[in-house]
Amino acid sequence: MHHQENSKLRESNMEQSEHHPEVPTAKQEWLSFLFVTVILMPFLAVAVVGGYGFTVWMLQVFVLGPPGTGS
Amino acid sequence: MKAIMALWNTLKRPPVHISLGIIIIASFAAGIIFWGGFNTAMEYTNTEQFCVSCHEMENNVYQELQTTVHWQNRSGVRAICSDCHVPHNWTDKMARKMQASKEVWGKIFGTINTREKFEAKRLEMAQREWDRFKANGSLECRNCHDYNSMDWAKMSDEARRMMAPAAERNQSCMDCHKGIAHHLPAQMGSEDPLMAAFAQEANATRLAAGNAYFTAKPVQLFTDPGLTQPAGTLAMATEVTVADLEGDSVQLEIAAWRKEKGFGRVLYEDFGQNIVSAILERDIAQQDSAFAYHEKKEDELTGLPWAEVSVKLWAQSGAYIPRPDAMWQSADQTYRDACSVCHAEPDPEHFSANSWPAMFAGMVGFTNLGQNTQDLVLKYLQKHSSDYVQGSH
Repeated sequence: MHHQENSKLRESNMEQSEHHPEVPTAKQEWLSFLFVTVILMPFLAVAVVGGYGFTVWMLQVFVLGPPGTGS
Repeated sequence: MKAIMALWNTLKRPPVHISLGIIIIASFAAGIIFWGGFNTAMEYTNTEQFCVSCHEMENNVYQELQTTVHWQNRSGVRAICSDCHVPHNWTDKMARKMQASKEVWGKIFGTINTREKFEAKRLEMAQREWDRFKANGSLECRNCHDYNSMDWAKMSDEARRMMAPAAERNQSCMDCHKGIAHHLPAQMGSEDPLMAAFAQEANATRLAAGNAYFTAKPVQLFTDPGLTQPAGTLAMATEVTVADLEGDSVQLEIAAWRKEKGFGRVLYEDFGQNIVSAILERDIAQQDSAFAYHEKKEDELTGLPWAEVSVKLWAQSGAYIPRPDAMWQSADQTYRDACSVCHAEPDPEHFSANSWPAMFAGMVGFTNLGQNTQDLVLKYLQKHSSDYVQGSH
């Protein structure tokens, strides 16, 4: 944990990154946010739901038979 | 790899530059857009326009639909593809949408991309749907049609006679209403999908002389291998032995019993049993030389003399299957389905073989079985009647 004295101004990002090389830049944060929100999550959601549907389909073919009256 | 490390580095810690509010609002908006997009895709793939975009569907089943009541009717209420073919229940719908990958495969590899290929697979596709409707009690029909909302007073007398008992038993619509939206499989000129399956098997069966087979459909008999001199008709599900083969024709040996009084045109399965194996033309029936005689017996019940005979006649090949089990099984299933609408159907062994024809004739009018199916079911009942089952009363 990094403590600051009250009288010191907050470090700029550049200075921060000198002490802690891993702090992301604003650009990195925005890119990461957009990537996850627009590409990764939708893809995952479709993959999960699709995988669920596929699993149920296979179960219906080999184990359960066609769906019954459950609504 | 460096990009992935950078991404992970950014994601694993709280944001430094982007406010929490922005993240929440943007994520909410993204979620709504995704869910809307997902549902739009689901709805779009349910439209008629989408289904019919494959010519396999547009040229075949879509044309057939347009001749039916589900396309045009008095009230103007109509069904589109997804109303009947896509479940409403979310899980089942997702499964069906994944199952559509099979249809995409078919489109790419042209599984049914010609009329002939489509017709060849029609029975298989139809049967899949019938199995689905059987399993869920015709649930998709009930999206619109509800027994509780039927106005019996508005129906025709005949409709009410059929529908009211079905309603009482909450019967699956497809038990009777197959072919309501698309053509029934019509292979081998058979009006009945049940028969079509056996006709297909028969077509694929190679006949060998000396072996016994069962007819998969009624067969015309002739005295000559050229099949020009009619000799009679062989009933379906009758056992015959192949005596000779010539081209597309086969000589069948029919072993039967017949009454030695009158013209002797009807060949029966067994002594004293009114189970019809074949009906012959008069001239061949009266030609004693055509028959090989075995036993002779008098039927005490009627005083009629019977004789065990066998006759060899020619017929077209491709109508015989080696074992009747599948036919009896189908007949049993048809019997259970068709004859349990109004009352619990009696067991086949509840009546004797000679009682069944009258029972059957009196009741079959309440069903919608095709003629060949009727013949098969009656023969099934007779051959599993009290005369043939041990220990029945």
